[in-house]
Amino acid sequence: MTAAGTALPGHLHVDDRSFVRKYVFSTDHKIIGIQFLFLSLFFLLVGGLLAMGIRWQLGFPGQPMPLGGWLPEGVAPGGVVSPKTYIGLVTMHGTFMIFFAVMPLLVGVFANYLIPLKIGAPDMAFPRLNMWSFWLMIPSGLLMLASLFVLGGMSVAGWTVYAPLSNSPDYTGVHLGQQLWCLSIVIFGASSLLGSVNYITTVINLRAPGMTWFRLPLSVWALFITAVLAILAVPVLAGAVIMLFFDQTIGTHFYLPAGGGQPLMWQHLFWFFGHPEVYILILPAMGIASDVIANGARKPIFGYASMVWAMIGIAFLGFIVWGHHMFQSGMNPTLASAFMVSTIVIAVPSAIKVFNWLGTMWRGSIHFTTPMLNAIAFVSMFIIGGLSGIFMASTPVDMYIHGTYFIVAHIHYVLFGGSLFAVYAGIYFWFPKMFGKQLDERLGKVHFALTFVFYNLTFFPMHILGLGGEMRRIYDPTVYEYLRPMQPINVFISVSAFALFLAQLVFAWNIVRTLARGKKADINPWRDCGLEWTVPSPPPHGNFETTPTVYHGPYEFSVPGAAQDYLPVNQPLPPVPEGRR
Amino acid sequence: MTAHAAAHGMVGGERAQGAVGVHTQKLGMWVFLVSEVMFFTALIGSYIILRWGTGAEWPEPRTVLAIPVTAVNTFILICSSVSMVKAYAAAVKDDQAGLKRWLLATVVGGATFVSVQAFEYHHLVEKGFLPGSGLFGATFYTMTGFHGFHVTCGVLSMIWVTIRAFRGKYAGGKFQGIETIGLYWHFVDLVWIILFTIVYLI
Amino acid sequence: METAEHKAPNYIAVWAALAVLTVVEVAVVYLHLPRRLTVVSLVFLALWKAMLVALYFMHLRFEPKRLLYVVLAPLPLAVILVVGVMHGFRGP
Repeated sequence: MTAAGTALPGHLHVDDRSFVRKYVFSTDHKIIGIQFLFLSLFFLLVGGLLAMGIRWQLGFPGQPMPLGGWLPEGVAPGGVVSPKTYIGLVTMHGTFMIFFAVMPLLVGVFANYLIPLKIGAPDMAFPRLNMWSFWLMIPSGLLMLASLFVLGGMSVAGWTVYAPLSNSPDYTGVHLGQQLWCLSIVIFGASSLLGSVNYITTVINLRAPGMTWFRLPLSVWALFITAVLAILAVPVLAGAVIMLFFDQTIGTHFYLPAGGGQPLMWQHLFWFFGHPEVYILILPAMGIASDVIANGARKPIFGYASMVWAMIGIAFLGFIVWGHHMFQSGMNPTLASAFMVSTIVIAVPSAIKVFNWLGTMWRGSIHFTTPMLNAIAFVSMFIIGGLSGIFMASTPVDMYIHGTYFIVAHIHYVLFGGSLFAVYAGIYFWFPKMFGKQLDERLGKVHFALTFVFYNLTFFPMHILGLGGEMRRIYDPTVYEYLRPMQPINVFISVSAFALFLAQLVFAWNIVRTLARGKKADINPWRDCGLEWTVPSPPPHGNFETTPTVYHGPYEFSVPGAAQDYLPVNQPLPPVPEGRR
Repeated sequence: MTAHAAAHGMVGGERAQGAVGVHTQKLGMWVFLVSEVMFFTALIGSYIILRWGTGAEWPEPRTVLAIPVTAVNTFILICSSVSMVKAYAAAVKDDQAGLKRWLLATVVGGATFVSVQAFEYHHLVEKGFLPGSGLFGATFYTMTGFHGFHVTCGVLSMIWVTIRAFRGKYAGGKFQGIETIGLYWHFVDLVWIILFTIVYLI
Repeated sequence: METAEHKAPNYIAVWAALAVLTVVEVAVVYLHLPRRLTVVSLVFLALWKAMLVALYFMHLRFEPKRLLYVVLAPLPLAVILVVGVMHGFRGP
């Protein structure tokens, strides 16, 4: 990307390339971040629609679904989804949400947008590779969407596509659908790896003078550690999925018992990736929450260094807990005990972070803005999700609750209550920087309130269902006599889920309306200390006129003796007032 | 950099506090290679697990595979690593003629390796040894196939680099790209050293 | 930037070592030694060759220590994955 035309001071240069080069095949990290934003919000919608299908069937089994008549008869006879279609919905809901919604929202959007700005760099280390990282998501997403519509149907093996269900097309009838899933995920893996190489190299090598490691904002730390997790874990998924694909296409038997293969090996390989994956899904959320909470409480983060070490601890431990997803697989009990211990231990650094967020807010001057509300919700919902996790960490307890709705409750408390609320916090917070217009605060609060209420009404009762013995992924709970008394809970959850989905329309409307006719935002509407708030909204190509110098840590709020209650990192600390410190 | 930063010896970028101390392109390649280590770990690890963890029936590799030919091929790949290292040394000295010569040698070495592998595959398939031929067939073709794919990508990249070298893109001290691709090339050689031993010999 | 001042290694010597080690490896196979000795020798020889390539051709011998930590990071994980899963299959 060479600059033609007049040169502006410092790093900035006039970008007079065509529209396509500037906004479509862009190498500017900010444009790429925004591209990821729209891509992943689209897939969030897809995942949500699939969830609506699931909830309709669970709440009203056997009843024709609204708009169900539009589906082909083979998929939904008489508008009622078939059992095979149902399990396909479950599979694809998980797949789209994890790989195409939450991961790109947290990493694709915020790593790309924030890292260069927050460390004082003009762009990523490898801008063209970055562009490829986004554009690989397109074929990946298209292949995955295509798998919904092919002959034989979509994958029906859960988002974890366990063998031998996933590689027995003669049994499931799913041929192409599962193959497309595999191809899509391999391409996704390539996209993820290219991105991660960029994030890691950029954070290590492109920091501005004075931006030492322990002055990095926690969002950057979190995204950096997440990228390290991805580099180490995603390739293992790629290898495992390739072997699964070969089982389906070229006659190998890696995971097929008939040919001497080992289905359990699939589980080990998948979860060796899968557990670091869930930390990939939560760490950036924790980083965003830290930035927003410090800002909203007008206080430095409590225990900054321990926050960093806790994230490093979580990342490291995250590699030695994978077996806790397999407690019911018949695995070696000694191995299971080892995993039990490591899993219980990993609660400790997570708890440290929770206490630090609380400590940050304690006696702060809390401003209940939309981002702050979402961030506080993140902390409280993450606590609940984390607590349920401790139950599952204990092998004997997990024997009872594995594969039940208790797990589904946990997953959604950490992924929606955790990650998604943090995503919302991040979007509301950085939207003005990205687009030069601020999302409407009132609509934001309405969206938050509705989402928070209906989210809890949807997912909390799942703990009860799970403990009552309702299994995951089943088509019709009323078939089981012992589950019938709990069916009203299912109905309640489904209705709440429909309301939750509709509540997101407020968010969508806010975005559309603001982009169309929102008023221009201030350069630093949240009065934050980060470097990104020292440049115009949106920042120009090249970000900074001259490379900034960083003088202090990222959370210098309410510093005694300062003129304002926040100090941008590129301004020196005020002299210590007489008699203080 | 601001006067303040200069006065306090604050530096950024590649010399920033706590940076790794290597230039960005090289660091990026190493990070990528770390991910490749994990990828081959999944494949080679599966081989190890299936062969020695599950008690499955497994033929002696040397009864199926051609050890002598592959040993020579291994040597050829090692030679191409040497020519790569010589190419880089030439680039550092700004010996453009040497650079071009050694890059061409590397391309030839790599292409030879891939060709011999392809020939070997053909021979094995003719013998009836296929990916579906038990777990050995499955793991053999997957591991060596992906390694061969990586070598092929390396050869193609090396051709592109050679063309650029002929256009003088690495003259006058701009030899960073040679080092970067060299790292990828040596890595591919390193993986083969492991693969040859574990799959063909043990 | 960081072409540290060090004597360039003798690449021909490294090449010769690699060639010799390869020959030794093949010889070990055809010597029909006891199984355990064969396996240990071959693994040792392969690792030695890999080290030579990594340290001299890939220049790690002369790089800043921090880069070494980056490069070594996946190795414990690779071991944990294989050993852990083997354990799962074969038992304690």
